Amino acid sequence: MPRPEQKEIQFTIDGREVRAIEGAMLVDAAKHGDVEIPFFCYEPKLGNPVGACRMCLVEIEGIPKLQTSCSTPVKDGMVVHTQTDRVHAAQNAVVEFLLVNHPLDCPVCDKGGECPLQDITFGWGRGRSRFIEPKRHFVKPLSLSPLVAIDRERCILCYRCVRFSQEVAEDYQLIFAERGAHTYVSTFDGHPYVAPFSGNIIELCPVGALTSKPYRFRARPWDIEGAGGICTLCPSQCNVQFTVRDETVMRVLARENDEVDDGWLCDKGRFAYQSIHVDERIAAPLVRDGGELREVSWERALSVAAGLARHRGRVGALVGGQATNEEGFLLQSLMRQGLESPDIDSRGRASVPLELGRALAAPSLQAAVPDLEFAHTVLVLGCEPLDDAPILDLRIRKGVRRRGVNLAIASARPSALDANAKLSLRYPPGTEAAFLAELAAALAGPPSSGDISALAKLLLEGGEDVVILWGERVAADALPTLLRIAERLGLSGRAGAGLLEVPSGANGRGLREAGVLPGVGPGYAPAPAGRSAAQIAAAAADGRLTALYLFQTDPVRELPDRALWEAALHRAALVVAHASVLTEGIREHAAVVFPAESHAEKEGTVVHPDGRLQRLRGAIGHPNQVRAGWSVLAEISARVGHDQGVLTSPMAWEQLVAAVPFYAGLTLQEIGGRGVRWPDRAQAAQMPAGSAPSAPAPPGGSASSAPVAGAPANGGLRLGSYRPIWASPEVEISPALKFTICRQHVELSPQDAARLGIDHGEAVEVSQLDGSSAAYSGEAGSQARGKLEGTRVHGTAAVRSGVPQGTAFLADGIAQDSANELTEAVVEVRKP
Amino acid sequence: MSGYDVPRFGHGSRVPGWDQAADLTKDPAVIPDSATTLVPETLRAGIEAAMAKYPERRSAAIPALHLAQELHGWCSPEAIEQVACVMRLTPAYLISVATFYDMLETRPKPRNDVFVCTNISCSLLGADEFYEAMVAAAAEDPDVGVRSFECLGACDIAPMASVNGEYVGPLETEDAAQIIEDLRAGGPVLEAKQLRFRRSVDPGAVGP
Amino acid sequence: MSIHILFEGIDEPGLNRLEVYQRRGGYQALRTALAMSREDVLGELLTSEIRGRGGAGFQMGKKISFLPRGDMDKYLVCNADESEPGTFKDRELMQKSPHMLIEGIVIASYAAGIGRSFIYIRGEYDYQADILEAAIAEAYEAGYLGEQILGSDHSLSLVLHRGAGAYICGEETGLLDSLEGKRGNPRLKPPFPAIQGLYQGPTLINNVETLSTVPHIIRMGAAQYAEIGTQTSTGTKLVSISGDVQRPGNYEIALGIPSREIIYGLAGGPADGREVKLWFPGGSSAPVLTKDDLDVPYDFDSLAKAGTMLGSGAIIVVDDSHRVLDVAYKLAKFYAHESCGKCVPCREGTNWTVKMLQRIEAGEATPMDLDIMASVQDEIIGNCLCVLGDAMAMPVGSIIKKFRAELEEHIEAARERAGIGSLENVIPVGVADAHAGPLPVH
Ligand SMILES: Cc1cc2nc3c(=O)[nH]c(=O)nc-3n(C[C@H](O)[C@H](O)[C@H](O)COP(=O)(O)O)c2cc1C
Ligand code: SF4
Ligand code: FES
Repeated sequence: MPRPEQKEIQFTIDGREVRAIEGAMLVDAAKHGDVEIPFFCYEPKLGNPVGACRMCLVEIEGIPKLQTSCSTPVKDGMVVHTQTDRVHAAQNAVVEFLLVNHPLDCPVCDKGGECPLQDITFGWGRGRSRFIEPKRHFVKPLSLSPLVAIDRERCILCYRCVRFSQEVAEDYQLIFAERGAHTYVSTFDGHPYVAPFSGNIIELCPVGALTSKPYRFRARPWDIEGAGGICTLCPSQCNVQFTVRDETVMRVLARENDEVDDGWLCDKGRFAYQSIHVDERIAAPLVRDGGELREVSWERALSVAAGLARHRGRVGALVGGQATNEEGFLLQSLMRQGLESPDIDSRGRASVPLELGRALAAPSLQAAVPDLEFAHTVLVLGCEPLDDAPILDLRIRKGVRRRGVNLAIASARPSALDANAKLSLRYPPGTEAAFLAELAAALAGPPSSGDISALAKLLLEGGEDVVILWGERVAADALPTLLRIAERLGLSGRAGAGLLEVPSGANGRGLREAGVLPGVGPGYAPAPAGRSAAQIAAAAADGRLTALYLFQTDPVRELPDRALWEAALHRAALVVAHASVLTEGIREHAAVVFPAESHAEKEGTVVHPDGRLQRLRGAIGHPNQVRAGWSVLAEISARVGHDQGVLTSPMAWEQLVAAVPFYAGLTLQEIGGRGVRWPDRAQAAQMPAGSAPSAPAPPGGSASSAPVAGAPANGGLRLGSYRPIWASPEVEISPALKFTICRQHVELSPQDAARLGIDHGEAVEVSQLDGSSAAYSGEAGSQARGKLEGTRVHGTAAVRSGVPQGTAFLADGIAQDSANELTEAVVEVRKP
Repeated sequence: MSGYDVPRFGHGSRVPGWDQAADLTKDPAVIPDSATTLVPETLRAGIEAAMAKYPERRSAAIPALHLAQELHGWCSPEAIEQVACVMRLTPAYLISVATFYDMLETRPKPRNDVFVCTNISCSLLGADEFYEAMVAAAAEDPDVGVRSFECLGACDIAPMASVNGEYVGPLETEDAAQIIEDLRAGGPVLEAKQLRFRRSVDPGAVGP
Repeated sequence: MSIHILFEGIDEPGLNRLEVYQRRGGYQALRTALAMSREDVLGELLTSEIRGRGGAGFQMGKKISFLPRGDMDKYLVCNADESEPGTFKDRELMQKSPHMLIEGIVIASYAAGIGRSFIYIRGEYDYQADILEAAIAEAYEAGYLGEQILGSDHSLSLVLHRGAGAYICGEETGLLDSLEGKRGNPRLKPPFPAIQGLYQGPTLINNVETLSTVPHIIRMGAAQYAEIGTQTSTGTKLVSISGDVQRPGNYEIALGIPSREIIYGLAGGPADGREVKLWFPGGSSAPVLTKDDLDVPYDFDSLAKAGTMLGSGAIIVVDDSHRVLDVAYKLAKFYAHESCGKCVPCREGTNWTVKMLQRIEAGEATPMDLDIMASVQDEIIGNCLCVLGDAMAMPVGSIIKKFRAELEEHIEAARERAGIGSLENVIPVGVADAHAGPLPVH
């Protein structure tokens, strides 16, 4: 639903005439008159007020009883008093009641010093209690989950945490049990509260009842500082505040930005900061020496990397999603100008031609994050927000719950949002092109029955503001049709509507804009043709490329076709890597490894999927021997004879702005702490226009894009893959998150499981049925192929009723038994 | 009615659950998947029929829990999971609902329920003494659970009790043993004192 | 002394069956109503000025007229939770004459333009629920419920919903949440149920007795109905009387008769040799009256003027053989047990009161504790989310006020029993201060 209009009104509070937005709750409106009203349970992010704590009572002329200002919308001409004896008496009473069963163990409470209950008791309490009866005492603290400790004695039953679980995350795992004064926060039958967003309850708790296990007693509020930053562990790019003590990140809190994250964080973003300060992190340059990576001096490492000069014209580069725009920009310049090697990519999958890429990124076609909440209809296409950009999952839920957004899902794998959707459509993995072609036809043709027609009807008739949220996984051959659909729906140039792409890398969008794509230069300018990631792998595997540059990415782990990448890295004479964790590909194959910065250390900019430029600033100094990525790139560039003239990160930014016309005039200052959406600026017109190929792309060699109805004939199962939210090296080395480390679960439909005689939870083995892929040629290719035929991925069977018959889903991007070991579209699942 | 027991809350409190930590070896309790949760057919049918009566299926939570309790004897974790699976709700949601209401039991209970009203009208007429007698009479019988209950809405037959839903009263101490006996026999309980047969006391309520 | 409308022939065998009910003229009022326009039926209810019989005493007709007009889904919910201690009138009505309630529901829904209705009956009323269920089935069968009732344009579905034991579900918004399958926590008002109630739709909530009266209003004509009772408390009322009286039970009276007539005349008063010490005129939530108040007319306004309320129309009589301390303790324990726990003053205030009373009984209190207790009651009243908190604070507060001397005696006696002599032994260090009166406000 389109955003409501806001009207100003005037009211009186404590004798002051104040203007406020009509309908705002009094507790908020009061702030305009410099009046602070205390409250505990009020939190608009959690939905409608509950009025449980009674702390916010005020007197309103004309209403006999005191009213809760958290639930009373301000009206024109209202006269409000917050300083009368009646109000004071009620506030005193509520504080006294709250403390009746609160233990007052503030000196040993982790919340002490930043506790709303302390502050409100100090500000609005009577100062003494008449309660002399024994208080309740219980065992404490107890585990609520591996991440959260609960101290039930301290709980004031304000409803915030349970409302979060029920009305924001909608996981309904955290609940109140029992009734009255016996009520307590609990879960079902002793199950832990494990959910992707569980950590938010720590921040919501206004007392010390819910505390972070990793943070408990690590610092006191007076010896910490807050530093704003951006989480770059996924494309959501949530705004965060790092709690820093002695150059150490102790905690991560949300830094509310409605345009980005709505004030929430996922547990990965909240707890993976631990990976910054663990022994597993690479903290000094490494060089392979006698087969082993050993710590060396920076000088030694840089001179090994400078050896790239000997591979001029034969270097391939991959850039990971955590790279900043500046880093991407410097690296493409190093590659293109310094090493005369145009083979650079930041996308793992089939590449998108320049014109098409421009058309998809056209500023007039870009939806913004809040549009997901206010649109008439949201179509989630080929992505799983919960895994791919978790915070968007919450935003979509909010839109459906609070604003009645029509939600439709079209995906291969069942989605966490299915239950919220009006329509959920499934297509066989990789067949987006066929699916979208059918949808386009349904949009054009007369109404008929069937799921796709129902979707077309919803898109056409549900309201004009349609947002299509789609993921990088959507097959490239489907994209021209996606554009045609957008055109048919009139999404271009329409405020509140458009496309929103979730790239697979956190800064995927920024890197593309910085020119980190084959054949695409900074600002989507044409550049000399280059190889895509998959082509780089093939070229390296058969010796056409001899050196590889891996900037914060490990293709063995992250990209499709693990065997090919292993062959490529094995064959390459020089592999230069920037990494913070020694993942397998780096550990086995890199010749030199530069320690990469964490997102708490980086300086630079990134671009949110909706075009918002956001700024990273060093919250802590570089630990140990870590150096800034941009400076390492500039140094190597200089050593291979291409001096980029960059001495600071802002200098790199300025070069980037100069190279990207649609950033023109933008300053770091302007980006500030909230970011700037460039598609909203006038300079967006400088973005070169693109176009879609007029006819849908021919089916091409890729067999997977032809629609496959029913189960494969040979008794195998179609392979679908997905990347779980936890699949990241940072998660694996964060002690608190160890419990989330993904093992392979092979998701099967109940019908297939029954047919194959496999029970839920049983060990299974996945192998390739049809090894006829043509991608392997030459000597390295046949090696890779030999390996492929013997490939076995091991996992546990997960029988899920939502999985369509004929398909098996496996996780990729995980440390062991990842789906990227499999390259064929059809696999066989059996008991070992 | 004198000499109240003064509870001193301490460790080992009487609010069960307060001192319970989560078991970190368990998986999170999400909505049970129908592919892996076995639900007795009668229960599934009952719950589905209940859900069909309301514009929103969630409304059937209490009826569904009643059915599950009837089948399993109490709202056991297993029972809750079955209801959760059919209703597409999380088990936690249902346990939250179940623990709110006095008639839904989330701990194992004896087969027979004797609810003795000890609210004001009944206690004025000796309900507390009867409750003690009832507890004593049932002490040996593992099949009978005696609970003191808030006003059951039958103060006209005070002191009274609800035996498996059958209201009986006015009760005297001797009735306690009789209730146990009748329960064992499996027939009607204290038939002469059953509320269902009681006529209105209003002299103006004319009836044949 | 009594006019009988609801209870007329209430004990007729088989009245719970459609056939008998019809034979006695049942569902004639429905026919009459359906022959009238919706507005006229509503007009009758307005003219009758019947006030709600569930507790709050709000005029039924007015409540209906608050419902927005229009095509949206609207709901009628019959409150059959009847959990207010001392109240058992709805039970007798539902058990003996379920069709009267159903007929009332259909007429009220017609007047309000409502298409879906529910009866929320407390889970403990198993027998009565079975009877209602059978009656509803009969009514559907006979075309009194369902589509196009008796050939009119009015359709109504009716579902019986059994609760599961929670007093708070009698509170109308707690009831709605419970009916939606949630914990029975009351909701913030506004919005009032008439605007946004069940499933967010406009909802009319009325008590069993209120709805059961509707067919009679139509049958008799509102003007004639309004003749009964007093100017502002029209009609008859079922009074549940219990406690220390010789003939406890439900009586139908015309509103406005002296309370003494009910307590002594109808119910026979306390046993010989005993006298009334205190009585609750409207369920245990009503501030108590004493033997000096026996002549207060039994109607909404006279009782309000006497500082109490008619509530659900349940009189509980306590004679002079009981200690007021025990009465206060029973009350406090009940409300503490039934507080939903959502809002702070009720949750903590009821429990604190229980603990204070326990302390008195244990001999650990002084008369000054009565001041604290009274002040805690004052701090609960008006500050809660719903009025359950007030429902304890008002009677307990009234007991402290009216029986202070007796309570002080109990305090002294308990201290003596416990062997605690001087006050210093009672008041913990530092607390004497807290007893010393209000502290300066910052
Ligand atoms: C704590 C509490 C308990 C209540 N219990 C009941 C009840 O059991 N039955 C009832 O009819 N009304 C009860 N009420 C009153 C209802 O909230 C509501 O006013 C009534 O059902 C409206 O119907 P009426 O207008 O016909 O009286 C209760 C109110 C409160 C605050
Ligand atoms: S007054 Fe009591 S019952 Fe009502 S909302 Fe508050 S805690 Fe719940
Ligand atoms: S903030 Fe208003 S009641 Fe809690």
